[in-house]
Amino acid sequence: MRRVLSIWLPQLPLDLRRRKADPRIAGCFAIISEIKNAWRLTHLSEAAIAAGLSAGLSLPDARAICPELLTEPSDAVREAALLRALWRWADSLSPWVALDAPEGLFLDITGCAHLFGGEADMAAHARMRLADMQITARIGIADTKGAAWALARFGQGEVEIAQAGKTSAALTSMPLEALRLPQKLTSDLRRTGLKNIGQLTEIRPAELARRFGLALTQSLSAALGHSPDPVSPKAAEPIYAARMTLPDPIGLQADLLGVLERLTASVCKRLASDAKGARRYYLTVRCVDTGDHVLHIGFARPTHIQPAVLQQFARPLEALKIEFGADWFRLEAAHVEPIQPFQISLDQHKQAEDDTSKIISTLGNRLGFDRVRQFMPMQSHLPEREFTHVEAMDRREPVSWAPAPRKRPLRLFKRPERLITLDPGRPPKRFQWRRDVYATQDAKGPERLTAEWWQNESQAVRDYWHVQTQEGVRLWLMTYPGSQHPDWFIAGRFA
Amino acid sequence: MFVGEIINRRDVGTLASFTLQARESLCLSGAVSLAKGRVHEVMGDSADMFAVLVASQLSGPIIWTGLARDIGSLAPTALQDFIDPARVILTEGVSRGEVLWAAEQALRARCAQCVIIELSQGPNLRESRRLQIAAEEGGGVSLILIHGRAHTSACETRWRCAASSAGAAVWDLSLTKNRKGELGNWRMSWVKSEISGGAYEAGVIHLAAATAA
Repeated sequence: MRRVLSIWLPQLPLDLRRRKADPRIAGCFAIISEIKNAWRLTHLSEAAIAAGLSAGLSLPDARAICPELLTEPSDAVREAALLRALWRWADSLSPWVALDAPEGLFLDITGCAHLFGGEADMAAHARMRLADMQITARIGIADTKGAAWALARFGQGEVEIAQAGKTSAALTSMPLEALRLPQKLTSDLRRTGLKNIGQLTEIRPAELARRFGLALTQSLSAALGHSPDPVSPKAAEPIYAARMTLPDPIGLQADLLGVLERLTASVCKRLASDAKGARRYYLTVRCVDTGDHVLHIGFARPTHIQPAVLQQFARPLEALKIEFGADWFRLEAAHVEPIQPFQISLDQHKQAEDDTSKIISTLGNRLGFDRVRQFMPMQSHLPEREFTHVEAMDRREPVSWAPAPRKRPLRLFKRPERLITLDPGRPPKRFQWRRDVYATQDAKGPERLTAEWWQNESQAVRDYWHVQTQEGVRLWLMTYPGSQHPDWFIAGRFA
Repeated sequence: MFVGEIINRRDVGTLASFTLQARESLCLSGAVSLAKGRVHEVMGDSADMFAVLVASQLSGPIIWTGLARDIGSLAPTALQDFIDPARVILTEGVSRGEVLWAAEQALRARCAQCVIIELSQGPNLRESRRLQIAAEEGGGVSLILIHGRAHTSACETRWRCAASSAGAAVWDLSLTKNRKGELGNWRMSWVKSEISGGAYEAGVIHLAAATAA
């Protein structure tokens, strides 16, 4: 017979702030979230409850009742992170732990309870350990997930245990909400006069299914243990990180490198054994006086090679200013991807590619990866939209360039530069550009280009001329033929 | 930090494939060549074109460093006549110091046979010596495109390249400084080789002596 333990954390958002020693918890404080276009209270401090507030109250009403109320919107990301941390912690109770987001956990404790001296002692132990972490918890233990969930939330005491085989007896007096049904279904059931689960079990399942759908009967039979509803733990994604706390703060460059070497050794070894590599590494340095500093490096391809990580970290570590020392370090590998092992010596092409990605990493870590770029072709007939830049680090597939249909300038100015016409013509016979005067010797054109029809540009039509000057320079002149007094621009310079 | 001693000084070979065919040899003795593992300066309006032509004779990635306003105007649609644009790695620095640092790192990396540096003013003696040391370590060709004035530097050669009004793919090339050899003026033209099966092949550079140095 399976035994399931359900932990309910009714005050998780408040506990999160309590753990940070938030002084507001002691007074009238509430967590609010937006439900059906209104800000409503979801979790309240004891003082707030004493002041007459209750969960579900809208914020203006709550303010009217208790003017000194302090509120904060719920922070789903941080709450989820805390829940995940607790999920990992719950491994100490049972190896079979599943998340019950947003504020609960399921543990399959079959065959575990005797290690703690029985189920009651186990629940007490869990609550004590959670209380040490300043987390309020209610626990229900039963044969099924549904029953344990109901006991944790709707039971009388902080710990409710339904003995093996006594599930239906424990559920009889529970309200309908304990079945984890959609709210509409629950209110429909209430309107028919049903109040608790015991009344539901007296009705034939076929009748219930016909009137209220299969969801109700499925949920009921799972809670009573008639149909299987196992606790299915999702394996946690491994976190490749290492942490080091020192008894005394350190500040010398050599000491820092020593710490980093030990951290990278641990992280890289684990990455290597899993045939994985990371594209980013984050090093958190906690200084005794200035707090946390996060240094990060990136790689053009996932890597787990320790010397490479150390080499890239050398520069940011050197730039880090440590005055009174740092005593806590954490290295985390992010953007972890699988890598294929390969032979180094036999494949020269691969070696050259590795060298290239190494120099891209080196340049990118100092200049920023958005400043190390490559060209990428684009589908357009407009000269400035025929190509774009992509970060060289992101380039994984080789690209092929279709031969250009027309001759294009080697230098294409993003903003065409206006020229001063000295001797008008089409194109101008003599003109001044930047500081030099040029005379047209030979001109080819016009090449008329129009912006795509969906581009609503005032100067949509452009005429381009390929001008060979007497001075030698070959320029790409441009004008907007539609405008009243056509000005001339230099759009680019040919090779 | 200065590198005090070059441990593995490589043999400085010449760029074999860059054979400039002199039809008439007025002041030339033998073929003109660009030394590998050396720093070369290029000036003039079409300095970038000269760099692209040199790069077309080499293989491997081309690291092109410069300020945003310089490298931002480079168009691959024209580059692809000469080289595969996928070879180019653009490196944008926000200051002259960053550009020079990136160039030094790129030169030290063995993978880059050709490093092109765009500067508004030529490198001074100290800067060019550092680049020279890095180039010797990596063994690649370093080309510095100077938009403004050149200064006294440790470069091997200094070229001036300008578009010529004689034709579409014709440039006037002059060698104004050469530490080992003679100076000269040439008229350079480019004959594009047929691109077969998408593979980029180096075109042929023809060089005709135009005027006496």
